[in-house]
Amino acid sequence: MDTLLLILLIVFLAKVFGEAFERAGFPSILGEISAGVVIGILFIEPDSEVLSFFAELGAIFLLFTAGYREVHIAQLRSASMEALIPTIMQMFFAFGFGLMLGLVFNLGLLQSIFMGVAFSPTSIGVVVKTLIDFDYLSSRPGTMMLTSAIFDDIIGIFLLSIVATMATYNQVPSGMQMFVIAAKLVAYMLIMVFLGLKVFPRLFTHVQKMHVKESIFAFVVIIALFSAYLAELFGLHAVIGAFIGGVLLSDIPLAKIRDVQSKVSGLAYGIFVPIFFAFIGMSVELEFVRTAGIFAVLVVVLALLGKLIGGFIGTRLIGFDYHDSLVFGLGMMPRAGVELVVLSVGRSMGIIGDEVFSAIVLMVVVSIVVSPILLKIAIMSKGDIGHHVD
Amino acid sequence: MTTSETKNPSDSVENKFLSVNIADIMSKDVITVTEDDSVEDVIELFEKHHFHTYPVLSADGELVGVIDQNIILEVLMFDRISRTKHTHMAAIRSLGEDAKSIMISHPVTITSDIGLCDAADLMLKHHINRACVIDDGKLVGIVSKRDVINEVYRTRGLG
Repeated sequence: MDTLLLILLIVFLAKVFGEAFERAGFPSILGEISAGVVIGILFIEPDSEVLSFFAELGAIFLLFTAGYREVHIAQLRSASMEALIPTIMQMFFAFGFGLMLGLVFNLGLLQSIFMGVAFSPTSIGVVVKTLIDFDYLSSRPGTMMLTSAIFDDIIGIFLLSIVATMATYNQVPSGMQMFVIAAKLVAYMLIMVFLGLKVFPRLFTHVQKMHVKESIFAFVVIIALFSAYLAELFGLHAVIGAFIGGVLLSDIPLAKIRDVQSKVSGLAYGIFVPIFFAFIGMSVELEFVRTAGIFAVLVVVLALLGKLIGGFIGTRLIGFDYHDSLVFGLGMMPRAGVELVVLSVGRSMGIIGDEVFSAIVLMVVVSIVVSPILLKIAIMSKGDIGHHVD
Repeated sequence: MTTSETKNPSDSVENKFLSVNIADIMSKDVITVTEDDSVEDVIELFEKHHFHTYPVLSADGELVGVIDQNIILEVLMFDRISRTKHTHMAAIRSLGEDAKSIMISHPVTITSDIGLCDAADLMLKHHINRACVIDDGKLVGIVSKRDVINEVYRTRGLG
């Protein structure tokens, strides 16, 4: 199929399906994945080089905007340490369940570790609407979810950076190799922090004076691509670099002018990210999902249970009552964007096969659909809707 | 309009523009909030005054952020806006209790010695409607597009 027509069709269907899902009360990401599934069934295999390159840019910009728009270093510092226990517990259990499942099914240690990493992230945005509808956003579990999610992406991306680097050795690395991985990660971080604190702020004061059109916007995109490329040079994955680049730009006033933010968001969510989600949908082996049986069911159930049990125990440890702990655990279950980026990294690096990939995409879809419903039932079970504000 | 002057009037206007600094045109009487002020107090300011943006100062008087109409609207209407805007950051902001927790912590600032033309250029190129003016880390004023337009209008009128 003609590439122009293909891109046009993907963006068009992703937006139309996304809108349909939004109107039906579900996040648009489901529509964008569905658009990919439909295109995959009706037209083509996702083997177009142009398409996979666009999808890679989508993953890069998804994580770049996550760092650039959604992370504030000051907020991290002020986030309550109390949230660390539930956060670590829910990630630990999710990771552990993924790892165990991989080992039980003889997937090999690296692929099993990757499954653990892929079980770890949370996308809190999926349940925010439910929390608002039931006046639960400002409740104790609601605020704990928001604080926990501050750490979530960062820990998830840190885990991904380790497992993605391990994959370049095609095996679980030796002690010396682990040292090299750690040294590369530290060296990359030192360079980026130096650039972020000393170079980027000065750079933007000069860029702002340039006469060419859209200079600031162009340099924000340049830094996103530069951070991604430099990460690859250091043996890290591009998406990890993009996230770090985004975090470093998140406090530079000229890079965060509302107009520039809006353009970056337009580039990401108008074009590349929908293509990325659709590409995920196109890459799903439907035949496998249909016949997967016990493995796919266990991936879905354990990934959700890991978050629920870990979140429940973690919040019980810091003194939540039974009901609030249940609400917290359920709120931590949904996965979305970051999860799919982690997954696509695993697939593109050859860490996971099509079966694991398809099963985890299924888990993401199920988690987005069931988490708000289960959360709603749990909140309603307390019977004091609308009055629960700590 | 006719003129019998021998000098080029546009040169004269140009020179006047070049001699105007932000310090000459900025609003110096700025209503500020401190980072510990409650969100209710900030909202009350928006009700009482017609300004679009309020600078947020630390206890030491340093500029640490700004709160503008967009932020307040987002905070007030968070439970009514489209779910696509329910980002993690917006959710945290909607629960904020003080100015510090809802402000934009990266305001665009300029210094008071910047010329009128440079400020206008910045505003036009990057769609910035107003900027805090700081000297040595301390807020000394706010300059808006309106201030620039008024000055240009005055200068042209006199020229």
